[in-house]
Amino acid sequence: MHIAVCVKQVPDSTEIKIDMETGTLIRAGVPSILNPYDHFALQKAIELKKAHNCKLTVISMGPPQAKAVVQMGLALGADDGVLLSDRAFAGSDTWATSYIISKAIRKIGKIDIILCGMQAIDGDTAQVGPGIAQHLAMPQVTFCEDIKIDGKKIIVRKLIDGGYEIIEAQSPALFTMIMEKDFEPRYPAFLDIHNSLDKPYHQWSMDDIGAEEQYIGLKGSPTQVDRIYPPPAREKAEMISGGVNEAVEKIVDIFEKENFLKI
Amino acid sequence: MASMDTLSRELMLDSLRNYAKKNLTHEFLKEMDDKNEFPTEILKQMYDQSILGVHLLLIPKEYGGISGGTFDVYRICEVLAKIDLGIATGVFATFLGTDPLSVGGTDDQKEKWMTRIAKENLLVAYAATEADAGSDLVNLRTRAEHVLKNGELIGYKLTGNKQWISNGGVADVYSVLATAPGGPSWFMVEKGTEGFSPNKHEDKHGIRLSNTAGLSFDDAFIPKETLIGEVEGHGLLQAQAVFGYTRVMVAAFGLGCGWEALEVAIRYSQQRIQGGGPLSDKQGYTHKLIVPHAVDLEAARAYIEEISERLDSGEKGLQTEGAIAKYAATESGNETAEDAIQALGGYGYTKDFSVEKIKRDVKIACIYEGTNEVMEMTIFRGCWQEHLKTRGQHYITMADEMDSLHLQTPEVGADSAALALRALAAIMEESRNQRLTRHQYLTFKLGKLISFAELAFIFARRSAADRYTETIKFDRNVWQAMSRVYAKKAALRIAVEGVALVLGAAEKDTNLAESVNTDKIQALQKGLISDMDLIASKLKDTFKAK
Repeated sequence: MHIAVCVKQVPDSTEIKIDMETGTLIRAGVPSILNPYDHFALQKAIELKKAHNCKLTVISMGPPQAKAVVQMGLALGADDGVLLSDRAFAGSDTWATSYIISKAIRKIGKIDIILCGMQAIDGDTAQVGPGIAQHLAMPQVTFCEDIKIDGKKIIVRKLIDGGYEIIEAQSPALFTMIMEKDFEPRYPAFLDIHNSLDKPYHQWSMDDIGAEEQYIGLKGSPTQVDRIYPPPAREKAEMISGGVNEAVEKIVDIFEKENFLKI
Repeated sequence: MASMDTLSRELMLDSLRNYAKKNLTHEFLKEMDDKNEFPTEILKQMYDQSILGVHLLLIPKEYGGISGGTFDVYRICEVLAKIDLGIATGVFATFLGTDPLSVGGTDDQKEKWMTRIAKENLLVAYAATEADAGSDLVNLRTRAEHVLKNGELIGYKLTGNKQWISNGGVADVYSVLATAPGGPSWFMVEKGTEGFSPNKHEDKHGIRLSNTAGLSFDDAFIPKETLIGEVEGHGLLQAQAVFGYTRVMVAAFGLGCGWEALEVAIRYSQQRIQGGGPLSDKQGYTHKLIVPHAVDLEAARAYIEEISERLDSGEKGLQTEGAIAKYAATESGNETAEDAIQALGGYGYTKDFSVEKIKRDVKIACIYEGTNEVMEMTIFRGCWQEHLKTRGQHYITMADEMDSLHLQTPEVGADSAALALRALAAIMEESRNQRLTRHQYLTFKLGKLISFAELAFIFARRSAADRYTETIKFDRNVWQAMSRVYAKKAALRIAVEGVALVLGAAEKDTNLAESVNTDKIQALQKGLISDMDLIASKLKDTFKAK
C-alpha cells in the first residue's frame, strides 16, 4: 500500500499576536511549526507504515522554507517527500490549493490512502482535504480520530455529534484526521534528521505537475479575502440565578429592556 | 568540519526545545537545583539516539555521529544554555571529553571510542584541571608511569588528583591529562578502573544540575592502548588545538543565558505598571536594564557567528578570536542576568522566577574554560603581536575598511567603528613607545578594549551584509541600530578608558587625547537615544508578554 500524507507549515498560533490598530498579524519572531492536525495525521501514517510495511510519501505546498515540514516527515519515518513550490501558486485559496495537490498526487501515481489534518490552525477552513478528494473523485471520510488497515478494508473512527461512527472504507480513499485528546507529538532525533537528507526529496513547480495556470494562484481562486480582523471583545456576561420561573422572568425583562422582542 | 544546512539545524533545535518544554519545566529544574542533583536520566535520554542524540553532533559520520560543525555547536549550545546551563555543561563536557581523541587519536582509537560513545550513549568527562593547574597546565602533577612486562611497555599507572571535573562523578569514560615519562599526554580511562574513584559532588553556587567532582588516581592501571595518539608528550598541544572552538561553545552559553534572562525581563516589563504606564515604555528602565544588554549580546553573536564560519571553512586555531568571543559573550551574559534581577525587582530576587537561577548559573561561564582574566591576557597577547608585526598598522587597516564600509552602508555605525579602531591603534602605539606593557593591569585592560573594537568591526560588517543571520528574531533595521549603538559605545569607552590607562601608567607627557579624536567620537554619539528608543520598542514587539 502507498500512503500519502499532506502537511502544512503554519505560524505557531500560540505565539501570534494581533496588532489591534491595523488588524494584521504580528509575525516578527513567530516560529513556524508543522500544523498540529497534520502532525497527528503524519504520526498515524507512520504507525500504519510500520504495521503494514506501506510506502509513505509526505507532501506539502508552500514557499521553499516549507521544506522543513517535509524534512520533518522524512526524519520521522516517511520514505520520500514532495514540496510543491512555485511563485505561481502564491495566493491560492483552498480550491486552487486542493487542485494543485491533487495534480501532484496524480503525478505520483497510485496512492491507496491519503491522510490530511482536519484543518490548518492558520486558516481553519477544513476545506483542502475534502477538496483534494473531490478533484481526485475519491471517497472521503472527514474528522477521523483513528485509522486501521484490516486486509483490504480501512477502518476509521469518525467523530460525530455525541459520539463516534466506525466506518469501513476501501482504497483509494482520503481521510481527514482530528487529534486524539492525549496526542503527544513526536519530534525527530538528531540522527534521523541528519539521515533524512539521504531520502528522496523533490520540489515540484506548476510545470512539473502539469497544473493549468488558470486554476492556480490568485487567478484560479474563487475566494477573495476582504479583510482579517480580530472579533470585538465580548461584553461581560450576566449570570442569572434563582428558580426556573424567576429566571425566565428576569430573562424576559432583559429582552424587553434591550428590545430583543420587537415583532 | 563544515556545518550542516540551516533546515536540518533548525529541526534539531526544534526537537531539543520541544523535549525541554515537556521534560525540563521550570518546576523540575528548580527542584533539581534545590536538591543539588544531577538528572542522570535526563542526560541519558538526551543522548538516546531514538529520543535526541544530542552528543552525536561532534562525532564524525563514519563513527555513527552526524559530523556537526562549529556553527551547529554554537546554535545547540545557545539553546541548551537557554534551557539550563547545568544540563548544557553536562553535554559540553562530553563534547570536550572527545576533543583529545578528535585532535590526536589514531584511527583505531577513534573507531573504538567514538563508536562506543555514539552507540552506547556514554557520558564523557574531560579531566585536565588540578588544584594547581588550571589554565597553566604546565604545573600538572598527575603522573602516568610506565608499567613493563618482560621489558616491554604494557600500560601506565596513573597517580594524582583532578579537580572541578564536569560529569566527574557520573561519566562512563574520562579523557585524563597526565604527565608520562615523555611529557604531558591524554589517556582514555573507563569508570570502574581499579585505583580510580571520583570524589563527592561539589555544592556549587550555580549550575547545580551539572555534576562536578574531583577524581583520585592511586596506581590506577590502564593499558598502553589508552594513550591518545600512542605517542607521549603531545598533551598540551592537543589541549590547545581546540581552544578556538571550545571557547565558542562557552561564548554561546553566555549568549543563551543572557538572552533567556533578558527575554524574561522584557516580557515582565510590559505587565508591570508603574506610575501609570508599563515599565517597558520608560527610558529610565529600558535604556539602562534592557537595551544595552540586547546590543552587547547581539554584538557578541555577530562575532561568534564570524568565528564559527571561519572555523567551519577550515581555519585552524583561532585561539585569540575564541578568547574574544568567550570574553565578550560571557561578560555580557553575566551582566545581563544581573540586571534582569534588577529589572524584575523583588520578584527577580526570589526563586520563583528563573532569573535568580540564571544569574547564579551564568557566572561559571566567566570562570571555566579559562577565566575571563586569562581571556583578557590571551586577547592582549594575540593582538599585541599583530600590532607589532604590522608596525602599528593592524587596526589602522581595519579602520580603513570601516571608513569604506561607511561610504557604502552608512546605517551600521562603521564611522564610529573606524574611530574606535584608530583610537585603539593610537593607544597601543603609545603603550609601545612608552614601554607601558610592563604593567600587567594595563595589558589586561587593553584586552578588554580590544574586544570592544573587534566586536564593533565585525558587527558593522555583518549587519551590512545581505544575509546577516538566521538567528535573530527582529528585523534588519533593529540589528543595524544595535550595530550603531555598539560602535558608539566602543569608540567612547576605548577613547576614555584607553587614554586614562595610558596617562595612569605613562612617565612621559603624551598628546594621546588629541590623537584618539575624542571630539569626533563624542560628536558621533548623535542619534544614540533615538536608536535606543527604536530598539526598546522592537524588543517589546518581538518578546510580547505572555
